[in-house]
Amino acid sequence: MRRYFRLLSAFSRFCLANEMAFRGNFIMKVLVEVLWLGILLIFYQTLFRYTSQVGGWDAHQYLFFLGCYYTLEGLIETLFLENAIDFADNVRTGNLDFYLLKPIDEQFLVSLRKIDWSTATKIPLGWAIMAFALIGMGWRFDLGRLGGFVLLFACGAALAYSFLLILSSLSVWLVRNENLMEWWWLFTTLMRYPRENYLRGWAYPIYFACWYIVPVLLVTNVPAQSMVRVLEPWSVALLIAATAVMLYLSRRFFFYALRSYSSASS
Amino acid sequence: MTETAVSEALPRRATAWGVVRKYINIYRVSLMERMAYRGDFLLATFLRFLPLVTTILLWRAAYDWAPEPKAGEVKRFQGFTFGEMVAYLMLVHISRMFSSMPGLAGGIARDVREGTLKKYLIQPLDLIGYLLSYRAAHKTAYIVTSVIPYAILFAVFVAFLQDVHAPDAVRAVAYVVSLLLAFGVGFYFETCVGLVGFWFLEITSFLYVVNTVNFFVSGQLFPIDLLPSPWREIFRMLPFQYMAYFPAAVVLGKVPTNELLPGLLIEAAWAAALAVLARLLYARGLRRYSAFGG
Repeated sequence: MRRYFRLLSAFSRFCLANEMAFRGNFIMKVLVEVLWLGILLIFYQTLFRYTSQVGGWDAHQYLFFLGCYYTLEGLIETLFLENAIDFADNVRTGNLDFYLLKPIDEQFLVSLRKIDWSTATKIPLGWAIMAFALIGMGWRFDLGRLGGFVLLFACGAALAYSFLLILSSLSVWLVRNENLMEWWWLFTTLMRYPRENYLRGWAYPIYFACWYIVPVLLVTNVPAQSMVRVLEPWSVALLIAATAVMLYLSRRFFFYALRSYSSASS
Repeated sequence: MTETAVSEALPRRATAWGVVRKYINIYRVSLMERMAYRGDFLLATFLRFLPLVTTILLWRAAYDWAPEPKAGEVKRFQGFTFGEMVAYLMLVHISRMFSSMPGLAGGIARDVREGTLKKYLIQPLDLIGYLLSYRAAHKTAYIVTSVIPYAILFAVFVAFLQDVHAPDAVRAVAYVVSLLLAFGVGFYFETCVGLVGFWFLEITSFLYVVNTVNFFVSGQLFPIDLLPSPWREIFRMLPFQYMAYFPAAVVLGKVPTNELLPGLLIEAAWAAALAVLARLLYARGLRRYSAFGG
């Protein structure tokens, strides 16, 4: 276990040094992230100019949801997204051979080899949004709730990661990886909005499928809802169970995919 | 030697028709190339519907919880009913079908950086002319293959569009013209951005910033009418709105009939101005260009 931590810190130092070699580029990437956040916040402001609630979430609660999703997105992009794309690339070129030869857990190496520091700024920005929303709604500090939120947030992130792992494992068979980013992006669109949006006639099947079958809606909804709205024991249990099951399944699926990997070229 | 034999022995002078034919041929070949991948197209177009669905649901939730209007009136956000909002979000996709040029600016910058631009300099072929034909072909192929998925999409969402008035003939014509001009504005805007590569060899991050700003300022996220006052007017003065907002506003009747013609003329003026700017940048850039690589 200590070996894994040592490796992880070596990876992250190496990637940071790499980024700092092209500082201008790094600053531009951070700037783009801040720009996107600005657009997101303007959209939020505009929406709440015309209504006081969206699906039962008031402006502060919705802002918290937004911050929660933004933090989660930042976390996934910093730790896993680039690695997932690299994995697909390595399958195509056959470079995956070198990873498989290393005396270390393959899933660890494939998932965490690169840390994308330019998206790491999203995490503290997301915290700031959540803190701002909590102050705005006059939240009284409650350690128990905060601890619960952190735990549920970690579950949500782990759940999102397991989906990403399954998605990138598919590239062993599909080989082409250009669409991986797009697929992931489409997937995340289901994490961006409160579940109440889907609780109506024709959208109900989407809700049912994405809450119980492919539980992608749980990722942001359960942590955010437990923190600023109601604590539903049933939803919390569902998130924890789904995380455990999906982490297990995605790991099994990843190794299953590796067994089908047939190297490439010479 | 007869006169005809002499003229055939000499290298053929480029006639006006010859020039046009050259670019028509480029269009034809590019069109064939694109049509080879229609399966990919269809899938990608369908995939783009999911974010549209989630966004529509978000607006539905916002409209549902908005304060009740006076009796007998429909809820409107700055004049937009929910149906019009849904229609707008779909129409913006159609605007972008004409005005978006994925990879155009990046491609030009790459040609400059890697020196492959010289293939245009040693042939009787103009870079901007070639790209224009090529992109026009791409757009034709894209629009033709998108008709089916978009028809399905509109059929699925038709229930939302009850309170949206179909455009009359004048408006329909103005819409088509605004879309064609949107292609011009989009093409020359992206070309100008790409030509900046003559001065700064690496423009990838600059492109990100431009695309991000454009996405918002052109009204792809929501109609720019919804913005608070100084911004609304400022965004209306910029060329970006013609790449997404303006055509959609025309067909939805958000542009009064007497402002249709002036609007289209301004759009045409922007396309022309950007075309002139592109020519200028290209001419200036070529003087700096040093054709790297073998």
